[in-house]
Amino acid sequence: MILRPLLLLAGITLILAPISAAPSILRGPYLQSATPDSIVIRWRTDTTEGSVVSYGTERGQLTKVAKADGVSAEHIVQLNGLQPSTTYYYSVGAAPLAPPAPGKAVAEDAPGRPSTYSFTTPPPVGTVKPTRIWVLGDPGTKGDIQRAVRDAYYAFTGKRATDLWLLLGDNAYPEGTDADYQKAIFEMYPVTLRTSPVWPALGNHDGRSANSATQSGVYYDIFTLPTRGQAGGVMSGTEAYYSFDYANIHFICLDSHDSGRNPDGAMMQWLKADLAATTRDWIIAFFHHPPYTKGTHDSDKDSDSTGRMNDMRGIFLPVLEQGGVDLVLTGHSHVYERSPLINGHYGKSPTFDAAKHVLQKGSGREGGDGAYRKKRGRIPNAGEVSVVTGSAGHAGSKPPPLNHPVFYIAMNEAGSSVIDVDGLRLDLTFITDKGEKKDWFTMIKE
Amino acid sequence: MRWWKLLTLLVLASAASHAHPEIEAGLTRLNAALAADPRNPDLLLERGELYARHEDWLHAEANYLAAAEITPRHAGIARARGSLALAQNRPADALNHLNEAKALDPADSFVRILRARALRKLGRIDEAGNEYDRVLDRLRSPSPDLFLERAALLPPTEALTVLETALRRLGPVPALELRALAVEETLGRVDAALARLDRLSAGAERKETWLRRRGDLLLRAGREKEARAAYAAALAALAALPDWLRDSPELLNLTKELATLSRSTPSSPP
Repeated sequence: MILRPLLLLAGITLILAPISAAPSILRGPYLQSATPDSIVIRWRTDTTEGSVVSYGTERGQLTKVAKADGVSAEHIVQLNGLQPSTTYYYSVGAAPLAPPAPGKAVAEDAPGRPSTYSFTTPPPVGTVKPTRIWVLGDPGTKGDIQRAVRDAYYAFTGKRATDLWLLLGDNAYPEGTDADYQKAIFEMYPVTLRTSPVWPALGNHDGRSANSATQSGVYYDIFTLPTRGQAGGVMSGTEAYYSFDYANIHFICLDSHDSGRNPDGAMMQWLKADLAATTRDWIIAFFHHPPYTKGTHDSDKDSDSTGRMNDMRGIFLPVLEQGGVDLVLTGHSHVYERSPLINGHYGKSPTFDAAKHVLQKGSGREGGDGAYRKKRGRIPNAGEVSVVTGSAGHAGSKPPPLNHPVFYIAMNEAGSSVIDVDGLRLDLTFITDKGEKKDWFTMIKE
Repeated sequence: MRWWKLLTLLVLASAASHAHPEIEAGLTRLNAALAADPRNPDLLLERGELYARHEDWLHAEANYLAAAEITPRHAGIARARGSLALAQNRPADALNHLNEAKALDPADSFVRILRARALRKLGRIDEAGNEYDRVLDRLRSPSPDLFLERAALLPPTEALTVLETALRRLGPVPALELRALAVEETLGRVDAALARLDRLSAGAERKETWLRRRGDLLLRAGREKEARAAYAAALAALAALPDWLRDSPELLNLTKELATLSRSTPSSPP
């Protein structure tokens, strides 16, 4: 009598076992190191298994397969031989996705079938393509403000795809641990992570769980960044600082927190070589510590951030300007501050001389003072706009002074920045957590 | 240390900071945690590190001391104290703490890096070099700076060996190639230096600056004819750039300069 229920229970257990044992994705997938012909796809599962990406250019035909050797819970698969400017559909799992039987379409949401995602490869390097870039400084608070900033951007961009996004450091508070990253990044931006490549910079909070000298710790474990110039630019030999190209834009990421910042150090030598090598129309530099700020940090105080802001202003900014940088994006200070077209200000704020350091004053807005204009070409010291956009997670809790004379506009508002580049035109817009467009400017090359 | 001294320091340390909000927020959290658990060495260490990150050495030291009083043998505290002493340019003190940290946690590579730096500052070059070697062997992806630090401790020929190892491991990183190139030149090995320049040039999208350097190097070596050829090659590389890039004032100047250099030998090398 007792045998029948036991057998029934055993049967149910056997049926359910494969379901409950099936690995589930804890993180991602997320896209890294995208180039016109390659991309790295990463994800994490709760158990170790194979790492396989099935992909193709038609949603229902993921017939190509890329895989990594061995089994792991941290999956890193590189797709090679891709076509530029092409949308690929993909799914991730332990084994290749079974192809649909001829003439029979398989519903994407069929039980047990992995989800299908998509990404679009960058265009050929140097070509012109309207490009949307989302810029998040100090986002990782995990709270309602971070969420509101995110949703305000989603409402702003609508169906317009995000081609790539930049994290300016302090991506996961308070310690940059794996758990912090899980909440602050992976559970906060899952859709953007699986459709748009993310390019991060190291912030001081990330640096609490990572070490640039040893290239170890959470930040370095999570991100796959180009060390050999494989995404454009000159090889740096480290993930701490790197460069990459997207269309006619050259991006330079510096490690303002934990790599040597001395004038003859490796990062500086790499930067000089990288700037000398690029032929892109635009150069956008991004790093964590701002050269100028009077927000929740003060770039005039030597002790603030152990002199890192001084170093970035006094040592690296002259080289960036000499190399023709157009836009400098930073965070650290939980505010939004934005300069006009400036050049050559490397001292403390009292030494700022608008007559000398402002190359084109005004808002930079068409219809207002007019767009900032630069001559096309790699012209040293032709001016850049410096933007502190470090409030994607929170703004200053107390009213900061916001009185650095270099800035045209400054505000203690949570938000993120959006950059649109189309040929020789660049627009930057600051969107608050309430969805308000609080600042914008245009730069045009002629 | 007597408890009253420690108490004074701790009072100082826990006082509301006049610094920026990040410290204040961190302090508020840590002060509350320490009020509930005043003898927690990890919290004291964290508070010390918070101060150290903002160069508030006095308060950092006070918290480390308090933590060390409670837990004398703690790798994290020893490392933090070593790092602090190094930042304050007290290498002998730093070394004491870092020796302790190393003994407590031999697997911590960053302790070894700090220790190598302390030894270097103390002029104990061989020991510093050995420590660098061990850590470089151990790390999967050491930063280029670490190799440069190691090479700087060595005479030219041995420095080149270290740099070659680095280049094999990391690839042709310009910072490493350029250092190796400088070393080759000091050794009078012009052709080897040229080979390095050629490698840098081969991997570069724009070659004119590398070719210009090639010309300068050859000129310094008294090889005028080859120098002129290098300058001419740099000119050709410039000519191959798109108009919008080539017509900048900087490159127009460079063109003029290279044209002169490729035609005649200047009296003194650049």
